[in-house]
Amino acid sequence: MSTLPAPTLLQAIGGFCVLAQKTAQTRLTYRLAMLVTLLASAFAYCVFLLVWEEVYRQNPHAGPLSREQMLGYLVIAFLVNTMLILNVESRFLQRVRMGLVAIDLVRPLGFVFVQLAQATGDLMVNAFYAVPIYVVGLAFAGPALYPASWLAAVLGSVSVALAFLVGFGVSYLIVQASFVLQSGYGVLFARAALHQVFSGLSAPLVMFPPPLRRVAAWLPFRHEIETPARLWLGQASLAEAPSLLLQQAAWGVGLVLAGELIFRAVMHRHQIQGG
Amino acid sequence: MVPAILVENLGKTYTRRKRKAGFWAGLRAYLSTASERVAAVTELSFRIERGESVGLIGENGAGKSTTVKMLTGILVPSEGRVETLGVVPWRERRRLAQNMGVVFGQKPQILWDIPARESFRLLKAMYAIPNEVFRFTYDEAVERLELGEFLDTPVRLLSLGQRMRCDLAASLLHAPAVAFLDEPTIGLDVLVKERVREHLIEMRRRFGTTIVLTTHDLKDISATCERLLVLDRGRLLYDGSRQGFEERFAHGRTLLVELGSEADASTRSALEHELAGDEVTFVWDTPHRLRVECARSASAPKVTASVLEHLHVADLAVHGAELDAIVTRLYRTAKAPA
Repeated sequence: MSTLPAPTLLQAIGGFCVLAQKTAQTRLTYRLAMLVTLLASAFAYCVFLLVWEEVYRQNPHAGPLSREQMLGYLVIAFLVNTMLILNVESRFLQRVRMGLVAIDLVRPLGFVFVQLAQATGDLMVNAFYAVPIYVVGLAFAGPALYPASWLAAVLGSVSVALAFLVGFGVSYLIVQASFVLQSGYGVLFARAALHQVFSGLSAPLVMFPPPLRRVAAWLPFRHEIETPARLWLGQASLAEAPSLLLQQAAWGVGLVLAGELIFRAVMHRHQIQGG
Repeated sequence: MVPAILVENLGKTYTRRKRKAGFWAGLRAYLSTASERVAAVTELSFRIERGESVGLIGENGAGKSTTVKMLTGILVPSEGRVETLGVVPWRERRRLAQNMGVVFGQKPQILWDIPARESFRLLKAMYAIPNEVFRFTYDEAVERLELGEFLDTPVRLLSLGQRMRCDLAASLLHAPAVAFLDEPTIGLDVLVKERVREHLIEMRRRFGTTIVLTTHDLKDISATCERLLVLDRGRLLYDGSRQGFEERFAHGRTLLVELGSEADASTRSALEHELAGDEVTFVWDTPHRLRVECARSASAPKVTASVLEHLHVADLAVHGAELDAIVTRLYRTAKAPA
């Protein structure tokens, strides 16, 4: 009788990478749908930019940021947002409805790593779609999109990686909610609304009224977009950078661990739909 | 040696909200917290040794799929003990997954949007399947299940039968020590079913894979399993060899008689009168074709002799009960009020 030994760490990483790659391949299947999504997002981003253009045209001192800083921030925010739109929840909700979670649960990679690998696949495709946004953004904001320095570029890139972990952590919690509620659409919409407001996608948090800023400080969403954008553009000081990166890492790891704890508890009471 | 599967007093109870049909009942259910406990599996005990091939059968809702999900670690039992390959499945699901293959007939396990070949490569990496094992299992699956012509077609464009074959191949690629196959032949034509059965037999011969097969097609069981577990409403109705099952429950015989000339009413009546005390049923399919159902196999010789004496027989055959017929009768008996 044959038994396969457990994969070594290197083999497990290999499996993770291949799953990420195949997920990316899957995403690329629906080219037209992706193009429509990209165009719709580009349209929304352009509207945002035009609104802020108009705000600064009417009042050049509308906020603590100059017009150039503002436009630079918004384009980088859009860019990071595009890269970090992960399909973790939508993919999972569909699988919950069809009872396909059963298949995910019998993979040797482990449930959380299967989700993380698929999210990595999403990131790979999104990075590809982010390129035209950067190019079009250059037309709007020009050199305002460049990193403030080499160090800022490194810090910003590390921060994007950590923002991915934070985004995945939030998604993983939504996935657990889907397990509990058997349909996570309500939580998903709540997450989208919170993300839209508190991530700094529509405006940097310094533009927010103080009470909202205080709320945002206690939520993970700003670390998905505002933190990497500020670090890249040098809008956060070098002294602030270690603390910001640590906060991101803490949120990312904390959210994933919290999701994993809930997952273990949920496994005791969940049911598989569809027999 | 640690058995492949050990189950002792296993039970699974679900809680579900009470609902009635209709809009107003739905609205009331929305506001109500009333729920009920449903026992899907109750006090199940059995042991499956390594290398065995076991058919798990039962009517819809008998608890087969729930049992398989507890054995694979997908569901946590409400009570009792379960071990698969020596580990508690739901506690060590990842460790178990490395040596377990699973097919859920209704749930595709290969990626929907890319060709099956790509999914097979993914599984090779994910399970870290050694090259020599993969070479055998992949080639065997491609050849035996005739996957070659659609390996490069996206799975969403495949027919149900083609997809099922890919799913089965995917579940056995890593030559698992134990394979749980829940309806692996659903939607397949007879020829393909035959190939699937051959594939299972070959995998078992080559790797000693323990097979737990859940199916409504009892020909799958006849072809691949030596042992049967029959479930009814969450309880074990029978656990033993397939042959023993047939001997225990297949008491009857059927005589199929082709007549050279039509029998008149008095001849028929005389025959039926002569065999009146032998628990036989006469079914005239056509004036030239008679089926005689004997409730006891022992009465078959007497019935045959009487038929030959009274009728002008052109051809005659005696059949034992098929597994399907026995199981159907068993289900009916289990359902009948005591």
